[in-house]
Amino acid sequence: MTLTRTLSAAMLASCLTVPALADGHRPEGLAALGPPPIPADNPMSDAKTELGKMLFFDPILSGNYAMPCSACHLPDAGWSVQAPISFGYPGTTHWRNSQTIINSAYYTHLFLAGSSKSLEAQARSAARGGVAGNGEDDMMEARLAFVPEYRERFADVFGDDWPNIRHAYMAIAAFQRTLVQTDTPFDNYMRGDDAALTDQQKRGLDIFAGKGNCIACHNGPLLSDQQYYNLGVPPYSGWEEDELAQITFRFELYAKGSTEELYRNTKDDPGLYFRSKDAQHKGKFRTPSLRYTKYTFPYMHNGMIETLRDVVVFYNEGGGTNEFAKTKSPLIKPLGLSDGEIDDLVAFLESLSGDEILIEEPELPVMEPLPAAAQN
Amino acid sequence: MRLMLTLACTVLAGCSALAQDSGKLKPMEVKPELAELGKRMFYDTRLSGDTTLSCSSCHQPDKAFTDGEALSAAYTGAAHFRNTPTLANVGYRAAWFHDGRLGTNLNDVSREMITETYMMNMDMRIMQERMKQDPVYVEMFKKAGMSEPSNGGARNALQAFMQTIVSRKAPIDTGDLSDAAKRGQEIFNGKASCAACHSGSRFTDDATYNTGVPNNPDIWSDPERHSAFVTYAKFMGVENYMNLRQDVGAWVRTRVAGTERSFLTPTLRELTWTAPYMHNGTMATLEDVVDFYNAGGGDDPLKDARLKPLDLSADEKADLVAFLKSLSGETFDTDEYVWRADDYGYELIENWRDTKN
Repeated sequence: MTLTRTLSAAMLASCLTVPALADGHRPEGLAALGPPPIPADNPMSDAKTELGKMLFFDPILSGNYAMPCSACHLPDAGWSVQAPISFGYPGTTHWRNSQTIINSAYYTHLFLAGSSKSLEAQARSAARGGVAGNGEDDMMEARLAFVPEYRERFADVFGDDWPNIRHAYMAIAAFQRTLVQTDTPFDNYMRGDDAALTDQQKRGLDIFAGKGNCIACHNGPLLSDQQYYNLGVPPYSGWEEDELAQITFRFELYAKGSTEELYRNTKDDPGLYFRSKDAQHKGKFRTPSLRYTKYTFPYMHNGMIETLRDVVVFYNEGGGTNEFAKTKSPLIKPLGLSDGEIDDLVAFLESLSGDEILIEEPELPVMEPLPAAAQN
Repeated sequence: MRLMLTLACTVLAGCSALAQDSGKLKPMEVKPELAELGKRMFYDTRLSGDTTLSCSSCHQPDKAFTDGEALSAAYTGAAHFRNTPTLANVGYRAAWFHDGRLGTNLNDVSREMITETYMMNMDMRIMQERMKQDPVYVEMFKKAGMSEPSNGGARNALQAFMQTIVSRKAPIDTGDLSDAAKRGQEIFNGKASCAACHSGSRFTDDATYNTGVPNNPDIWSDPERHSAFVTYAKFMGVENYMNLRQDVGAWVRTRVAGTERSFLTPTLRELTWTAPYMHNGTMATLEDVVDFYNAGGGDDPLKDARLKPLDLSADEKADLVAFLKSLSGETFDTDEYVWRADDYGYELIENWRDTKN
């Protein structure tokens, strides 16, 4: 953890020292994206990322042998779900928007309220969550042992006699650290290619760093300060319209540890509050990276805003209202942007996405009977 | 909470009546509204994680709450490594599961079945909220004296329903035994000494024995079954679980050398409905079972010493089977035990913002 912090800090520092170039304005506080931090206790190797790729797509890591990571992080849907709320485990619905895997390697905390401190921990939580993978570690680990190819690969990568479920999450995390995009038009521009952004995008960048003050939170190479804010995003509409969503909402309140008072009366996602149990954190969510957002619509933690333009309009109007009015960030106020300025800003946001990242999905091995044991 | 404790005490009092010597089984005392609630839940697939399995998927009323399979089905993507036991008179048992690993009450058994990953794989916190989304449950919980659906209340209700499953009108109880069955009863108590273990009104001593029932190779040839077994063995702390190719039975709780492969004496009631037999379903018919004991049980170095060849003639074996068949009563496939209404559904909570969760 300390290493990760040190690395990110070093990265940030080195990126920020890129000198402003003569014929293009490059605001301080923004930077091109470098390579992701690699935790010292989970070094990368080709064999490991290849294994992680298989496991990412393999439903073996779920309760019903049918819900791989890729069920809710679809490569051709921006490695997320292009709907307000993620798919849930069969018989349930999820309650938050599915986040893209792309560039998830740079976050110090995963999940929209930052409840996991590493990709490794996030993978485990998602595989086991009642409205996600609903798997159980003992069972998933047992299944892996019945796949000859996994026995070989876990032995090769981790030295396991039998596949260890913790190592499965480590391999998945390693694979996710390969899913980064560091060559967007924005990155190329920040590295000195003045032609990488259009004039309109350059105007948008000025608004981003100036009048729009987006940069107050969306800063650094990731365009996220990884802090938590309430913008007044309206509550997920499904909570009034969908029985399954009502079930999941109460389950989450209950499962995350609520007082009776909170459980009975809360009608919106308390977000960061679940981690801190501090009332000042109600309704706060982590600033998302703006990278790859061309492919990850709809937006916000609950998908309640459909397009990038809608998002900009939302901010231009000073955000919205939800039941956590007391915690709404004072940074959010009407911006007074003209239609033209809104267009410019949207054009700039589009420069934060490069080509769509698609991969060939791996062939998946299956469980086979175990050879007879030497002795009982 | 106080109400739930009171209920739990009533239920425990019912359990302690289990030491009946012989003869007819009396119905257990349960709160009818609670049992009715449990009955609806028993047939509800929303008690499983992906809503595909209910208790009745494997405990089917027309088979005295078994499933007719050698080895039970299990949760999606898994398969079980043991035979589904009957629920007839299950409330009178002193221990549950073939290895007897739960010896508390049916409330705990319900939790184990619902939450175990290879059985119903249900996060009960989701189950609770599902029930609260179904107005029929909301009403039934109130009628049963509970303010709203809850996990604890649900398990008490399932327990109450299972306690209503008591054998009725078996020839052994009505006295309507054929001559063959009467001769078989003599053999059962005498020459064959079946009653040494199959004693009391449920024809079981609730103890565990190794009778040398052969291994079921289908457990080890099917990765879905075998991996469920590995999950179980690992959780129970069995050493060398990856290399095991045998079901160690009661050893998981005794940890005493010599108890490997021993299993609870099963009840003999409702046998005609519950084929195939033994903890792993390896015997298809009652005739097979009688042949097995007539040969002195199976081949296992830890086999109970009392199992010896019985030297029964063909006629004696037929009489013994006739007696065994007289231990089965009326079907449970009746309205009393089956929730017939197809009324499982959720209802949107209108005016949601102004309704307390």
